[in-house]
Amino acid sequence: MTAFLALAGLSYVYLTLQLYHLGERKKASENELISLRTQNDLASAQIAALTSRSALQRRLKEGYLKMIPISEANIVRLTIPPRSPDEDTIQPVANPSAAR
Amino acid sequence: MFVCAAFIGLFSIFSFRLIYLQAIKHDEYAGLAAEKHVYKQIIYAERGMILDANKEVLAHNIPVETVVADATHLNSTEATVDLVSSELRIPSGELAEKLNSGRRYIVIKRDVPAHTATALREKLRAGNLHGIYFEHDATRIYPNGSMLCHVIGFTDFDHHGIQGVEASMDEYLHGQDGYRFIEHNRAGQEIVPYRGQERAPRDGYQIHLTVDLGLQNIVENEIDAAMQQYSPQKATIILMRPQTGEILAMANRPHFDLNLRSEAKPDQMKNRAIIDMMEPGSTFKIVAAASALNERKMRPDSSIFCENGLWKFGGAALHDHRAFGYLTVRDILIKSSNIGAAKLALSVGEQKFYEYIRRFGFGERTGIELPGEINGLIRPPQSWSKISITRIPMGHEIGVTPLQMTVAMATIANGGKLIMPRIVKSVTAADGKTISSLSPMVLRQVISPETAKEIGDALRGVVSDAGTAAAAAVPGFTIAGKTGTAQKVNPRGGYEEGKYVVSFAGYLPAEHPEFVGLVMLDDAHTSKPELNYGGLVAGPIFARLAEKAARYLDLEPHEEIRKAIPVERVEKKLPTERVHKTASAERVALTNASHH
Repeated sequence: MTAFLALAGLSYVYLTLQLYHLGERKKASENELISLRTQNDLASAQIAALTSRSALQRRLKEGYLKMIPISEANIVRLTIPPRSPDEDTIQPVANPSAAR
Repeated sequence: MFVCAAFIGLFSIFSFRLIYLQAIKHDEYAGLAAEKHVYKQIIYAERGMILDANKEVLAHNIPVETVVADATHLNSTEATVDLVSSELRIPSGELAEKLNSGRRYIVIKRDVPAHTATALREKLRAGNLHGIYFEHDATRIYPNGSMLCHVIGFTDFDHHGIQGVEASMDEYLHGQDGYRFIEHNRAGQEIVPYRGQERAPRDGYQIHLTVDLGLQNIVENEIDAAMQQYSPQKATIILMRPQTGEILAMANRPHFDLNLRSEAKPDQMKNRAIIDMMEPGSTFKIVAAASALNERKMRPDSSIFCENGLWKFGGAALHDHRAFGYLTVRDILIKSSNIGAAKLALSVGEQKFYEYIRRFGFGERTGIELPGEINGLIRPPQSWSKISITRIPMGHEIGVTPLQMTVAMATIANGGKLIMPRIVKSVTAADGKTISSLSPMVLRQVISPETAKEIGDALRGVVSDAGTAAAAAVPGFTIAGKTGTAQKVNPRGGYEEGKYVVSFAGYLPAEHPEFVGLVMLDDAHTSKPELNYGGLVAGPIFARLAEKAARYLDLEPHEEIRKAIPVERVEKKLPTERVHKTASAERVALTNASHH
C-alpha cells in the first residue's frame, strides 16, 4: 500500500513536470510559428513593395528597366465576336461547344 | 483529557478556518488571485488586404510589436526605464512617469519594428528585468504610396478605417479579434498548462477593387502631366466601364502619400470625384437633348431656330458664340449652342426636364462604395427663376459631382441605362473563398436605346473638325464626347472672374464603348486666357489617356491605323482660326453665366 502511494505520488510529480515541460515546448513552438509568420509577412511586404507599380515605375525612370511599345504590325489578334451589354459576365471561349 | 480537548478545539478552529477560506470565501479569493495572475490576452485579427482587379496589392500589413508594461511586475523600474527608453528612443522622464503609475496595462510604444522588439526582448532577458511584454500587432502599408490614395483611404492607429475603401469596407476588412485567458508566474512568464478559455481570431476579408492599376497608372501619369502643364487648383480624372459601372481608374489632385498620411493637409485628402460640386457647363447639354428626343418632341434632324446668336428670354439675353440660324438637334450638340439647348429644354417643359435631370441621377448619391459622397444640388422647378429653364440646359444653376457626370455619360454609352458605379468587385476570405461578389446594378432605363444611340451619334460629331473637341480625337478609334467650360462659382456669391472649370466627358470606341472617361480641371492656367476651354485643355488630355488605355485594353483600332504602325502619338495642331472659334464658343456661355 505504501509502495503504491509512493508510486502514485512520484507519478503525479513526474506527470505534472511533464505537463509543464510540454507547456514550455508548446509555447516555444507557438513563438517559433509567430516568428516564422512574421518573417513571412515581412518578406511578403518586401515583395509587394519591390513589385509595386510605383516601384517599377521608379526603376523604369532610373533606367533599370526598358520598355518598348509593341507596334500594331506585330500584334496578332484573334477574331472574337463583340460582346453585347447583357453578356458581360460570359466570356467567349475558343471552342463554342465547350461553353455549353 | 484537557490536552485532547485543546487539540480538538485547535483543529476545529483550523478546520473552520479552512472551510471558511476554501468554501465560503472561495470565489472572492479566487477572483483576487485571478486578478493578480490571470489576464485576457487579445489575439489580434489581421486586417484584410485590398487588391486591384488583377490582384495587385494595394494595402496590406507589416508585422510590428506593441510594447506594454505591467507596473506590478516590474522588479527594477529604474533599470527598465534606462534600457527601454534608449532602445525605443522615447524620453526617459515620460516613460518613468508611465511606469510609476502603478497600472497593470501601460502601452509604452506602438508599431515597434520586429527587429527592434527582438533586440529589446533579448536585453530584458539578459538583464533579468521583468514586467515588459510584447503584443504582436500589424501596421498598414500601401506599396503604391500616393497612387489611388483617395479611393483606398487609410486607418487610424486602432486599425479602424477612416477614409476611402478602408472606411466603407471596414466591417469586412477588420476581422474579429480572438482572446485567450492566460496565467503568469511571479516572473511574468505564462504558465501554459493553466490556459483558460480561448477563441481563435478571424482574419479580415480581402477586398478586390474594380480598379485596374495599369489603367490607374496611365491616369495618374496624365493627371500629373496636366498638373505640370496647366497648374490647376484641382483636377479629377475618372474611367468607368459603362456596361457594368465598374470604376477602372479614379485620380484627384491634390493628393497625398498614404504612407505619410500624418503629413497630409486636409485639402489633399478629399476625394473630389465624389465630394466636390461643380457647374458642369456644356457637358450637361446631353440631358436637354436626351429629354427632347426621348419625349419625341424633337427628332435628331429637327431644325431649331437659334436666333442668330442672341435671344432675349425672361428679360435676360442668352448668347451663342456664333450667330447660328437653324440648327438640327444633332448640330446643337456638335456646335454647343446655348440657345438651341435652352429651346430643347423648353420643348419638354420645366417639370419634365427636371424629371429627366433626376432620372439621369443628378441630385442624388450614385451609391458607390466610398464614404462621404454628396448629392449635388438640383433645385426643384418651384425654386427656378424665369430664366432657369434656359440656363440649366447649358449646365449652370446646378451642382453635380464629377462621378455623377461620368455616370450620365455612361448612360448614353450603354444604351440609356443608369448604372450604379462600383468600386468593389468582390470580397474573399484569406483562403480564396468568395464571400460576396457584386454584380452590375441597373437602376433604371433613363432613355430608350434609340435615343441613346441618337445622342451618341451626335457626340461623335463633337470630336470632329466640325465640333468643339477635335483635339480629343484618338487615331484609329471613333470617340464620342462633350466638352464643358463653366465659370467658377464664387463661394461668396456670383462667379470668379477669369477662373473656369474645364471638362471633357467621352467614351471609346463609340460603336461599342469599353470605357467612359471624364477629365476635369479646375482653374487651369493656359498660356493665353482664350485657350482655357474644355475642348482645348481637357480634350487633349482625354485623347492621350484614351489612346494609352485603348492600347492597354488591347482594343483593336481601325484597319487603316493598324497598317500605319503608329508608335509615338503625333500631337495634332489645330488651325489658328479653329482654335479661335472653339475658344469663343464656350466663352459666351460663361459670359451669360456671369450675368445671373
